[in-house]
Amino acid sequence: MVLGIAWAAVVPMGSQASPAIEDPAERMRKTELENGLTVLTLEDRSTPVVSFQMWVKVGSKDEARFTGLAHLFEHMMFKGSKSIEPEEHARLVQARGGRINAFTSRDVTVYFEDVTAESLPLVIELEAERVANLDISEKTLASERQVVLEERRLRTEDSPEGQAFEAIAALAWRSNTYRRPVIGWREDVEKATVQACRDFFQAYYVPNNIVIAVVGDFDTDETLEQIERSFGRLEPADEIPRNPNRLSDQRGERRSTVHFDLRAPVLAVAWHAPAAGHPDAAALDVASQILSAGRSSRLYRSLVYEAQQALYAEGGYWELNEAGLFYAFAGVRPGASIERVERLFYSVIERIQTQGVSAQEVAKAKRQLEVDLVNGLVTTHALASRIARDTVTFGRVRPLSERLEAIQSVTPEDVQRVIQTYLTPDQRSVVRVIAPPPDGPSAPEAGE
Amino acid sequence: MRSAAPIQMASAGLFQMAGAARVWLALSLLAVAPGCGLLGQRPAWELPPPPAREAPVVQPGALQRVTLDNGLRVLSLEDRRLPRVVLGVTARRGAGSVAPSDAGLASFTAELMKRGAGRRDALGLARAVDEIGATLQVGAGWDSMTVTVTGLSRDLDRLTEILADVVRRPRFDAGEGEKARGQQLAGLEQGKDQPATLAGWATARALYPDHRYGRPLEGTPESVAKLGAADAKAFHARVFVPDNAIVFASGDVGADDWHERARRHFGSESGWSAAPAAPETPSPPAEVPAQATVVVVDRPDLGQAHVVIGQGGISRTSDVRISAQLMNDVLGGSGFSSRLMASVRSDEGLTYGVHSGFAFRRQPGPYRVVTFTRAPEVRRMVDLLISGIEGIQQDPPSEDELAKAKSYLVGRFGLSLETSASVLASLVDLDVYGLPDDSLDTYRARVRAVQVADTTAAARDLLHPRRSAIVVVGPAETLVPLLEGLGPVEVRQP
Repeated sequence: MVLGIAWAAVVPMGSQASPAIEDPAERMRKTELENGLTVLTLEDRSTPVVSFQMWVKVGSKDEARFTGLAHLFEHMMFKGSKSIEPEEHARLVQARGGRINAFTSRDVTVYFEDVTAESLPLVIELEAERVANLDISEKTLASERQVVLEERRLRTEDSPEGQAFEAIAALAWRSNTYRRPVIGWREDVEKATVQACRDFFQAYYVPNNIVIAVVGDFDTDETLEQIERSFGRLEPADEIPRNPNRLSDQRGERRSTVHFDLRAPVLAVAWHAPAAGHPDAAALDVASQILSAGRSSRLYRSLVYEAQQALYAEGGYWELNEAGLFYAFAGVRPGASIERVERLFYSVIERIQTQGVSAQEVAKAKRQLEVDLVNGLVTTHALASRIARDTVTFGRVRPLSERLEAIQSVTPEDVQRVIQTYLTPDQRSVVRVIAPPPDGPSAPEAGE
Repeated sequence: MRSAAPIQMASAGLFQMAGAARVWLALSLLAVAPGCGLLGQRPAWELPPPPAREAPVVQPGALQRVTLDNGLRVLSLEDRRLPRVVLGVTARRGAGSVAPSDAGLASFTAELMKRGAGRRDALGLARAVDEIGATLQVGAGWDSMTVTVTGLSRDLDRLTEILADVVRRPRFDAGEGEKARGQQLAGLEQGKDQPATLAGWATARALYPDHRYGRPLEGTPESVAKLGAADAKAFHARVFVPDNAIVFASGDVGADDWHERARRHFGSESGWSAAPAAPETPSPPAEVPAQATVVVVDRPDLGQAHVVIGQGGISRTSDVRISAQLMNDVLGGSGFSSRLMASVRSDEGLTYGVHSGFAFRRQPGPYRVVTFTRAPEVRRMVDLLISGIEGIQQDPPSEDELAKAKSYLVGRFGLSLETSASVLASLVDLDVYGLPDDSLDTYRARVRAVQVADTTAAARDLLHPRRSAIVVVGPAETLVPLLEGLGPVEVRQP
């Protein structure tokens, strides 16, 4: 089906802005094609580059039969289409010096190209070609499966931090699909079929499930016309399948031990926290800063600087579309006690629960968050990511002024309240990655 | 800010793990790390690339250079698009300027410079930085030491004061020296948990047995164990002298304003007087061995073998640097466009990533081909890499390959012009190596001037795969039998 030429709606952004910082996203234009594809354009002629990003609203949380399929499929998007040889897409962009990559998370799959301006038309045609005409064969799947298994060894199986991360998600989320590693369990990656990839493609890579963001040096009208010509003929789906969001109650602390041949053990702790868009998000962000941002932060000071028990220590709010975690992560110094590091973590948190935080600390955290927002405006890539992520998550781009206001309204009492509310012992999951005991392969795991 | 120029960087991010800190968010995402034909019209990929729109390196009038009477060079690049600034000082000596027995001294000094300066102790300095949302970095590279402070332009006074304190008045408290040494030693021990780090260390040691480059940037347990605050203080005094340094600013600050601040905080009137910079410690260069040597670092628990094929390279100031870089981009430096990626990932599915590149330093740094694969496939991988390197000698880059490599380098250069901070980092890099000020302006033309004969010569003269160090980290029991016949094999513990 060929859809009409005109885009259905042009929605200008709101015009509120912080008096201190001009928000370039105010100049963003949002266009929806008749087939449901959302296109965000933000022209900026002061930069010589352009970032093109395609955000597909599918992540590992949407997988049905094989875990890791969203990520494996992301790899397959580079393996050729009707008119393009395997990897030729990446070669064509890189041969012009462009940066091209993609990533998969629990909620989204993102493809991006950062190029100098003259290469934007090529990028648009290449992206549209693979969405329209992707070719998945037994041969390309067989070789890419091995690539992904190497990636899994690199990031997870042979990595202490990777082991901790995989274990803590599986422990904290019992019933939700967020519990699965994005890269998938090894056996699933080994078994995933061509048909499963094709079905996944048909179900999720449809225009009404995609947001495109273009930021930088280009002409808006020309570019929108080209996107319409290239993507406008794609057929939308009537329904996009989603797994139920099963969040079960946690009733008591959960603990797990992973044995690994290492010198610096890893401690990971996670508590359940709200999903993206919750009114407590700003207070949780401020709490993250107070715990982890900079060398005057509480975790660095306590665990790294004063007690000298950790190589690094950080905690923060991780918000996903359907759930959230507040995490704490530490690299334990070789020879130091992981039990002591865990106790130090809790004492930092308990201190906030019982004594609160100072107005000065909150002011410092707010300033850090404000500077982070400004730093997010430096590159076209960061700006494109922000407008696309917001659109995918919230259906709109939150103006900087709104985000600053939310941050500015957080009080010391709010910080204490969210730490008291969410960081409770019975909502906690704890993973220790430690060396195996010298005698015998495993020690009994601590129960819940 | 990096002391290495962005224009030297290839797409290393394709397969590298994040560092120890900030692991969480890095772990929550997975990159692919490769990193429709229209009716009645040929698709863009069948058309020749349009001519690159060449943005100027800097906007006219934005860049200012001044030299103060104590020899300090002052550089500013005005960019008012955002209310932020990046300020910094780079001194032209780094980890490469000390003897191998002092390895780690530059990193140790950098860490101590962050632990208290002027009237502020370690915690006071951290608070002063964090209160204004600023970022303070002190980095030790092989050839330079760099301090940068980034923050909002409305905090320019505080940012300048912090920069001046850290560069001019670090406290080097003995107690902080003890703590910093403990942290550095723990970091070295933790490095043994990271196979890629172990592979890098073992490669350096194999190539430069008696040279500073043969020890990790952060030193060895033996060399770090004897470091104290007094050593850092003495190193700082030798390195941070005005006629050996450059002070710079980019962003929302005018040239006159920055010049005045530089004069006040770093000029001779501030008491910073010219002194001779410490001489480089001369070191013997890498030796080209008569035959390949194989080093296996035993990590019995790993399923994956990390592989490095390493040899000596060329210096940052070598005349053939651009030809060598173009040759390398064809071989393994340009992601999916490179021959090695096509061979070991796209065709064979042996790895998630492969990369090759020169480490351009004041003295010739290593040339390395780096990858990883499941342990039982290690021999097939090594053979493919060696035949790939030999392949580019026997079948050097074609006109077409060279044209693509040039377009890759010129395009990357174009991307590096996006932010004033990255342009300034490249300009500071030129200063570190005493290269002409207009090197960025002439860069694209110099890339385009390279001929097939030049890359052919680079492949022939610079590569010697049969006399390289082959380093593999993984389970020795599996690996050693597979590596037989490549050269003498040495098995080491991490």
